[in-house]
Amino acid sequence: MHHVVLERWSRRSSALHRADPRAKIAILVVFLVVLATAHRDVALFAAGSAVLLCGASVWARLPLAAVVMRAAVVLPFSLAFAAVCWMAGDAQRGLQLAAKSYLSALAVLLLVSTTALPRLLRGLESLGAPRFLLMVAQFLYRYLFVTSEEAQHMAKAAQSRGATAAGMAKRQARFRAAAGALAVLFARSYGRAGEIHRAMAARGFQGHFETLTPLRFRSIDALIAVTGSLAPVALRLAIERLS
Amino acid sequence: MHIPDGYLSTGVWATLDAAAVPAVVVMARQAQRRFDDARVPLLGVMGAFVFAAQMINFPAGLGTSAHLLGGALLAVTLGAPAATVVMTAIIAIQALVFQDGGILVLGPNILNMAVIGVWAGYLPFRLAGSGRWRNLAIFAGGAASVLVSAICALAELKLSGLPDKALGVSSVVFLISAPIEGAITLAVVKALEAIRPGFVRQPEPGRRLNASLLAAGMASIFLAAVGVLYSSPAPDGIEQTGLISGLAARVKVLVSTPFSGYEAAFLSGTWSRKAAAGLAGLAIIYLVCLMIGRLARKRSV
Repeated sequence: MHHVVLERWSRRSSALHRADPRAKIAILVVFLVVLATAHRDVALFAAGSAVLLCGASVWARLPLAAVVMRAAVVLPFSLAFAAVCWMAGDAQRGLQLAAKSYLSALAVLLLVSTTALPRLLRGLESLGAPRFLLMVAQFLYRYLFVTSEEAQHMAKAAQSRGATAAGMAKRQARFRAAAGALAVLFARSYGRAGEIHRAMAARGFQGHFETLTPLRFRSIDALIAVTGSLAPVALRLAIERLS
Repeated sequence: MHIPDGYLSTGVWATLDAAAVPAVVVMARQAQRRFDDARVPLLGVMGAFVFAAQMINFPAGLGTSAHLLGGALLAVTLGAPAATVVMTAIIAIQALVFQDGGILVLGPNILNMAVIGVWAGYLPFRLAGSGRWRNLAIFAGGAASVLVSAICALAELKLSGLPDKALGVSSVVFLISAPIEGAITLAVVKALEAIRPGFVRQPEPGRRLNASLLAAGMASIFLAAVGVLYSSPAPDGIEQTGLISGLAARVKVLVSTPFSGYEAAFLSGTWSRKAAAGLAGLAIIYLVCLMIGRLARKRSV
């Protein structure tokens, strides 16, 4: 599954993995803004920043081919949109949209596959994001796969009881069965939340997470942040000057 | 309905990012009042539930299947503010972990689905959720949550100058999926009530909307409307805003001094102006939010 790979990648070790999440977030935002505002010579800039991103993922010791493939999850939507744009007679715009959305996804993927999610959320918190929201996100991520697995088990169990499309003649019956399954899943999730809360309260949870290693913004992080954000800007300037 | 990065013009995403922040902060505050820090697990697990609900398929006719999107269901079970917080967390995790929806466009996506969509799903229930139109209200809430967020997303894409034809195709998809979401929401609510009636909240008629909530909502809408209208005649027009362009000019001078040889390239290219404006805008938004956060924290202590 997607998350397992990301978890594995984000726990590797490289200079980029060790960098402070805030530095990486800053680079990502600068890159995304530069990419989003590019209007002239988009193809050249896209090629250049693709090289930059690939270089960064090699530097982070990530499997390049797998990263490039994984970022392609945005392409089905983007290419469909590009096809419609092409039919509407604006092929170039469609291609630009596809390239921009792909490269943005690649950049985000680079951030999350070099930063474990708890560290990333901690970085966001120290940048001022509301803590309540981040805690909800952290719990969501923690139980995302537990609950998804449960849902898959329920779907499989229903199938093995004969709840296939052909097995249930009436669509209404299938609809009601699916609604019942969701309601059971809802009730179980609700119950699980209660158990989690009691278990955490028993261990002395005060309403916020403590960390073992606080974030420290070292001078190397500042260096990474500055060079990393200057790279796309310099690339853009070079292209602007050459053309 | 998740807009990826690169689709919206700078004016549109920057404005909506700015508008989303106060909306989400107010909602988080409202939700925190009912679900104190110690009950945060419930909201997180319910977010995980919405993710997992995608695994269970509903027959949608013509051999296709659909799945729950969840905004309206969360609104009638947890209440609208908490539902907004959960949906915001879902959208953030989708953007970060699954590359579903962009980062710069988090604001527009959150406004469309977590704020406007959730409230559109909640309002029918709140207005008619206790009378004999209850079933209809729940159905309408589910349908409205999809339809209204789709309309917002399409409007933002249109303002960014995407061709109408591309938008027409998507709007047909949304028109079909809206009643399906309504039907799924209603069916799940009915099943939940059969399991345990306490899960579904009773709407509280007669209670007036909180004044600060109303003010923040109006401010958000106003911000969004002004920004979007301002930037719509010429996409990427946000740098024309006096304050931001002034700052951008200053930023440009600061940045371009070391590259004095490149100054011509800097000044002639509209790109640098736009990027500087975008970054300066983001910096301003960020600082203002940080200041508001500090002030709010001080007051609450």
